[in-house]
Parts: sequence; structure tokens; C-alpha cells
Amino acid sequence: ADKILLKTPIAFGSHLPALGTPIKWVSEQLSLMSDKKIRMKIYEPGKLVGAKEILDAVSSGKVNSGYATAGYWQGKMPAAAIFSAVPFGPEAGEYMAWLYYGNGMSLYQEMYDTAGYNVKVMPCAIISPETSGWFNKEINTPADLKGLNMRFFGLGASVMEKMGVSTSQLPGGEIFGALEKGAIDASEFSQPAIDQRLGFHKIMKYNYFPGWHQQATVFELLVNKDAWGKFTQAQQAMIETTCKASMTNAIAEGESMQFEVMAKAKDNGVEIRYWNDTMLSAFEDKWSEVVVEKTAADPFFNKVWSDLSTFRKGYDLWESHAFLPRAVK
Amino acid sequence: MEINEILVIGMFISFIGLLFTGIPVAWVLGGIGVVFAGLGYLADQYLDTITGLDFLTLGLVVNRVWKIMDNWILVALPMFIFMGNMLDKSGVAERLMSSMQELFGHVRGGLAVTVTVIGIILAASTGIIGASVVLLGVMSLPAMTKQNYSMPLALGTIASAGTLGILIPPSIMLVIMADQLGLSVGDLFMGAVMPGLMLGAMYVLYILTVGWLKPDAAPIPENAKKVTWGTVAKVLKAVTPTLFLIFSVLGSIFAGIATPTEASGVGALGATILAIYYRKFNLKVLNNVLGDTYNTTAYIFAIFIGATCFALVLRELGGDELIESFLTGLPFGPYGIIFFILALVFVLGFFLDWIEITLIILPLLAPVISALGLDINGYGVVDNPELVWFVMLVAMTLQTSFLPPPVGFALFYLKGVCPPEVKLSQIYKGVIPFIILQIIALLILVYWPQLVLWLPAAAYG
Amino acid sequence: MKQQVSPVKMPVADAIDRFIEKVGKTIAWVYVLLILTIILQVVLRKGFSSGLVVLEELQWHLYATGVMFGLSFAQTTQSHIRVDIFYARFSPKTKSIIDICGILLLMLPFVGVIFLHSLDFVYDAWRIGERSDSPSGLHYRWLVKAVIPLSMCLLALGMLAKLLREIQFLSRGKLSGN
Ligand code: NA
Ligand code: NA
Repeated sequence: ADKILLKTPIAFGSHLPALGTPIKWVSEQLSLMSDKKIRMKIYEPGKLVGAKEILDAVSSGKVNSGYATAGYWQGKMPAAAIFSAVPFGPEAGEYMAWLYYGNGMSLYQEMYDTAGYNVKVMPCAIISPETSGWFNKEINTPADLKGLNMRFFGLGASVMEKMGVSTSQLPGGEIFGALEKGAIDASEFSQPAIDQRLGFHKIMKYNYFPGWHQQATVFELLVNKDAWGKFTQAQQAMIETTCKASMTNAIAEGESMQFEVMAKAKDNGVEIRYWNDTMLSAFEDKWSEVVVEKTAADPFFNKVWSDLSTFRKGYDLWESHAFLPRAVK
Repeated sequence: MEINEILVIGMFISFIGLLFTGIPVAWVLGGIGVVFAGLGYLADQYLDTITGLDFLTLGLVVNRVWKIMDNWILVALPMFIFMGNMLDKSGVAERLMSSMQELFGHVRGGLAVTVTVIGIILAASTGIIGASVVLLGVMSLPAMTKQNYSMPLALGTIASAGTLGILIPPSIMLVIMADQLGLSVGDLFMGAVMPGLMLGAMYVLYILTVGWLKPDAAPIPENAKKVTWGTVAKVLKAVTPTLFLIFSVLGSIFAGIATPTEASGVGALGATILAIYYRKFNLKVLNNVLGDTYNTTAYIFAIFIGATCFALVLRELGGDELIESFLTGLPFGPYGIIFFILALVFVLGFFLDWIEITLIILPLLAPVISALGLDINGYGVVDNPELVWFVMLVAMTLQTSFLPPPVGFALFYLKGVCPPEVKLSQIYKGVIPFIILQIIALLILVYWPQLVLWLPAAAYG
Repeated sequence: MKQQVSPVKMPVADAIDRFIEKVGKTIAWVYVLLILTIILQVVLRKGFSSGLVVLEELQWHLYATGVMFGLSFAQTTQSHIRVDIFYARFSPKTKSIIDICGILLLMLPFVGVIFLHSLDFVYDAWRIGERSDSPSGLHYRWLVKAVIPLSMCLLALGMLAKLLREIQFLSRGKLSGN
């Protein structure tokens, strides 16, 4: 094809920093680089199709591309969660290492292929850690969590349920009202700069870190495979390279904007806390229980999990020697 | 003009044209979507456009229908409808009417005030215009006729009180508007309280003034009993359970016991318990209530489905951008644009129900309003204060648009339940003062956005 | 709101309408289940701090079933909202022609599009054993997705019944010469 129009429904509003802004950048860059021969028309969530329907829409060819995160498909393919964010999983550097230079990408594509989805997948943004959630009391021991009603999403929710938390998965717009009125007691959503937009800091006192459930989150561009096959090699390369560049852009943007928001929240009386060791190891214990269940329940989850684990075991040697200790709190 | 622009305009024109044939609105919307998807496809083949529309793309309708089904917030819709139906079918609403009538019977205009108050209470439970107007008409018109009320006053009161339903929370319309625009249901419910009460108060004041200036228009019945403490006690006894129900629904939201969605379920159960308490509950009543709820929910939902197809094709044709650039390009300044939009909504309200307007027009307007850069004070608490305020303006405009002769929906509903000797012209005459009141209220809201925003800010601040 | 009883028997149309009504009267009970589910959830969550994602999801499953199947019921009771400013004044023959055109040109194509595309939608969900994307949510997503084609079938049937009635009405009018 001489000219390409990528009709791209997206899963996050393009106004959301680091969550939605990267794909807007991608669409601008594609147009610039290709001299307007590749255009990406972005459809805000729900305008054409809802966020959770993007995979189906792209695979069936109802649209030729879409931007989402694989975690949204874990009801369809349990392993999808691993390509989105893993509790106690890798940070962005290690994650990208596994994806691009380990077996990550081939497994990622294999997952869609074996499940019969007619899509070509590319990681197209990655963000740094999320917050662990907002609470109205201090959490020092697992007992403090018991009986809480909390909004939590994805694999982390399974962990929280094992901790005795009753989880729900309210949509972003409902969380504030539910928190404010006490319908739920706590909530996680995303990074500080994004949580700020939902107004959690107005009503919640304690903001906990680190985001053990999402140390890095990958976002994907899906392209219908038939459409992809019709692109020239140059066009394919342009799209793939732009997505790779978008990984850099997204993490840089995300990394740049959190501290200011946190400092402001601190000024407004929010207590920013770091999970103590008891809590962190409790989360990790429960997570390993979840992993046992997941790997037993789904062979492909098991396959991806083993591969990632092997890679990470190897990486440990490097990691434990290569980095300076973190800045002191 | 581009071909896709012609198609967009064609969609709207054929929609309006086909509406008046009397083919159900939902299927006009859906059908036009399908037909224009076909036209878009042909244009791509022969006229060199790039709408990208074809049979496959049209399949997105299924994903969109699924998105409507997979919607936790809309669960409130059948529940509120159930609650309203139960109050009606179990005679609870009627009991409310007759007892309040005893209390206000000796005041000039008292009966009309009663109708308004009941309208507000019903409003809080149903939110379905047709149902409220019909119910109020059936319950109160005979009584007002017997008491020799001036027909226009009686009819005007019923029509206007019946339309309050879509504004006063818990309102289905507000639930759906919140869903469409990504606003908080709580903010909208809270925001609607003061405008709704203000409007109710204006109605009451008007009725009392008429009763005072023109005693013949609202005569006191000859057999009016003096109000004794006994009457008051009796009325209280009759009213309390229902009021309790209404407040428990709103209260459970605001006290954090339940989300608005869950509160609707609490309300449905509460109405059932009330019916049991009054010994009006049996399997037949339940079956009737269920049948009506099933039916009503479905015909509202049908429009959702039709509209989602219409909106999909409209979007693929670039209709969103077209409308947005048209509206923002108007040479009127921000408030001029707002008045233009409200006037448009008002006119559309003549032949569209609020459901279609909310589902098709509102999402197109929201970005325009956001782009105006209005400085509306949300007290740092209400998100998107300009949208919350604007939604209230639209809600009140819509409510007004149900009343104007000769096309207001409320008038037809009312005519449907009037005895044949009541003339449509009497209804027309009766609603005019109320329309004027509505417009005044609307102007007040435009001038003082705080009337909308203060309460949600205070509640959540 | 009820369909006027036609003086002439129309066995097929009548049977379809009776069937849809029967299905409707049964499925309407999902709203009772819905009330109970909501109350149970509220009580568990507020009373015992143990709300269940399953109950949360069951709510919209029930709601979705109710509204979708209700479409055909509202079709047989002729209660879908129409703007009847002019329609009410049309002659029965004109009304009949409008209804026939509406069903053939707008309603059935629309319902057909949803039905045809929903088959793949349901099949995919069944093929890969789709379940809730919440780990503790409901399984068998294809079940609730199957509501789409089933309810569309029922709705199309209801429309066909109406079509039969109108065609019979028109042809009868022709025979008796009015
Ligand atoms: Na998150
Ligand atoms: Na209402």
C-alpha cells in the first residue's frame, strides 16, 4: 500500500500522562517520518470501541490497529498478564531486556497466535512503577489489611484477596466517589501523576509505595495481521521503530513527572510511606501462592513464567553487582 | 463540501425525516446506521472517499452493544424503574396523594401544591417522564376537576410536576449522562438537588399566588375539613414510609453504604417492603411490576442499541469533527455558544426523547464545552465543573422542551389520560406559565453556576 | 400498550407473540434475582467486609440478560418509542405500509447485522474459554455473550410476526376492495 491509515482505538484517554500520551506521540512521529504516508487516527476510549474490546476488533479486522495493555486480555489468555505487569516482576530495563533480547517477544507473539488472534503485537510504551495504593490508615501488619474493601486490578488483586482484602474493580471514574463515601476503604490506580487527576490526595491520607504489583507496565500496539502483511518492509520498519522509540519516550515522560506531584501531595498532608519488610514479604509469599495456582491452571502461563524466571535468575548475577544502592528515603 | 460531510448531514436529515413516519426511534437510528454504512462503502468504491466503512467494520456494533451490557453503572436503570413501578402498582403513591390532599385541602391551590410535591417525590423514584405524567394525571385530575379547579391550572401543574422526574435525583437521565461523559454520578445527583428544589419551589409559589389572586382558579372544596392534629398525624403516618424510602436511597449513597448502583437495588427492595407493609403485595402485583419493568427497561435500552450503531457510523464518517468545528466556529463567544447549544437542545427536545439526546448529542457537545475554557469554580473538589454545570443546563432545557405546545411529549402523555372533554388547547394554556418559570430558572442557573456546584463541593470537600 | 387482538386468526404470528411473551414473563424474574444479588453484596460488603467480585459481576450479567431479551417483549407489546404526531393520524393502511417498510428496510437489516457479527463474538469467547479478567470473577463468559444472538433472534421473530400481521392486513384490504 502506498498510503496507510491506521485506525487506532486506544484504551486510555490520550490526555493521561504516560498512560495515554505516548500513543499520541507515536501518531505524530509516524506522520512526520513517513511524510504523511502513514497516518494514525486515534479514537479515544469508547468512541469507536471500548477498551476491553480492542483485541477482538483488531483481530477480526473491524479496525486495523489498537493500543492497549495485554493485562486486559487475561480473561481470554491468562498468560497475557505477564506481558503487561508482573507482581514482584522486572523493572523496565530488565523487562525490555527479556522482551527484545530474551524470548519475551516471540512468546508474546506466540500467545496471540496460539489463541487464534490474527494480530501482530509490538510493545509501544512502558512506564515505571505505579503506587501501591491509597489508604486512610497506616498498614503495618497483614492484620491491618484484613477486612478492607479495596479497588485493585489484575494479578495483584489475587494477592490482595489472599491477604484477606475484598477487592472490587471499579472503573476509574467511580473510584473517587466510592472512596469518599466509604463504599470502599482503599484503592490503587496508577502512578502519582495520574492518581492525582482522580483526586485521591483530597480524601486519602496514606499513599503506599513501592508498587510491588506493577514495577513496570508495558503497553502494546496491535496491528491486524492481514493488514500488516500488506505493508512494505519500510512501512513495517517505521512502525516498529517508532514503537521502540516510544518506549524510551514513555518511560522518560513518566519518570520525569512523578516527584513533583509527590512533593505537592506531601505538602498537602499526604503521608507517603514505604511498605515495611513484613508487608513486602507477606505480599511476596501470597504472590508465590498465586503463581503456583496460575502455572498449574494454564500450560502457556507456565511456559512463559518459566522462561521469564530463567531469564531473571540469570540476570540476578548482573543485577546484584551492577547497580548502586537506591537513593536513601 | 466533502462527500463524507454530505453523508453526515444526510444521516441527520434522514433521521429526522424518518422519525416522523412513526417507525420506532430505536430502529430508525440503527437502520440509518446500517444504510449509511452501506452508502459509505459505495462511496469508497466509486467516489474515492476513505470512510473505511464496510460490513466488517459495522461489526463493531456488536462490541459496542456488549459494552452497554457490560456496564455496572447502568444496572441502576431497571432497579429505579422497578422501584417506581412498585410504588405505583402497589397503590403506595395513591395513598400518598389522598392523605396529602387532606392536609393541604383548605389552602387555596393546596391540591395543586400537593400534586407538585408528589411530583417531586415520584420524580425521585421514577425519572420516566411518561410514567410520572400519566400517574399524576390519573391520580389527581379527577380530584381537581371535582374541586372545580381551573382546567389550565390543573393541567399545567400536572404536566410540569411530571417532568420534574428527569431532573431530581435519583434520576435515570443523570445516571446515563454521567456514564456518557465520564462524570461522577454523585456529583450530578448532588448538583441537581438545588436546581430541582428551586424549580419545585417556584412552581409552588406560582400556584399559591394564582390561588391568592384568582380564588376561582383554585377553589377550596366545600367539605374541606379543618386540619387537626389528627389529620397531621394521619398524613405523617401515610407519608413517612415513602419519604423514608426516598431518603434511604439517597442516604445510602451519601452515607457510603452503597454506590448509586447498589442504592437502586436498595430502593427496589424498599419499595417492595413498603408494598408488603401496606398489604398491597401479592404475586399478581409482583408479576405486573416485573412485566412493566422488563418492558420499559427494554424500550429505553433499544434506543441505546440503535444509537450506538448510529453514533458509530457517524464517527467513522467524521461527524464528530464536523459538528465540533461547526459549533466552536460560531462567532458568538463562549456564552453565545452555550445559548446556541441550549436552544438547539430545546428544539431537538420537541421530537427526541431525552434518551436519544443524551446518547447522541451530548457526547458531541461535551468537547465543545470543555474547549470553551470557561472558568467555572468547582471549589477544587468537583472534577470537570464546567461539564457538571453544563449537564445541569442541558437537563433543565430538556425538561422544559417536554412542555411547549404543540409538540411537547408531556402534553401528549397527559392528553392520553384526560377525559375527552378536556381540550388540548386548555393544556397548552396551562403549561405556558410553567414554561416561563422554567426559562427563568434556566437563566438563574446560567448566571449562578454555584447553584449547581456548591452542594457537590460541600458534600465531597 | 398491548397488541390489539386481531379479529382474524394469524396462527403463526400469534404463536410467535405468545412464545415471546412466555419467554419474557420468565426472564423478567432476573430483576428479582438482581435485587437479591445487590442486597446480598451490600450486606456482605458493609456488614461483613467481604464483598465478592462474583456478585458484582453477576449484577451486570443479570441486567444484561434482562434488557436484551426484553427487546423482543417490547416489540410484541408494540411499546418501542415512536414519534406518533403524524403516525397517530395516518389511515390504518398507511400505518401498515410504513410498518412494513420500516421492518424490511431498517429493522431487520439492523438486527441482522448484530446477529451475524455476534456469532463470531460468542464463538471466540467459547473457543478460548474466556472468563472474567478479574481473577476472582465469573467463568464462562460465552454464556452471557450468547445473550446477544439469542435475543436478536427473538427480536427478529417478533418483527416477523408484526410483518406477517401487516401483510395479511394489507392483502385482506385489497381483497375486500378498500
Ligand atoms: Na494499577
Ligand atoms: Na428522578
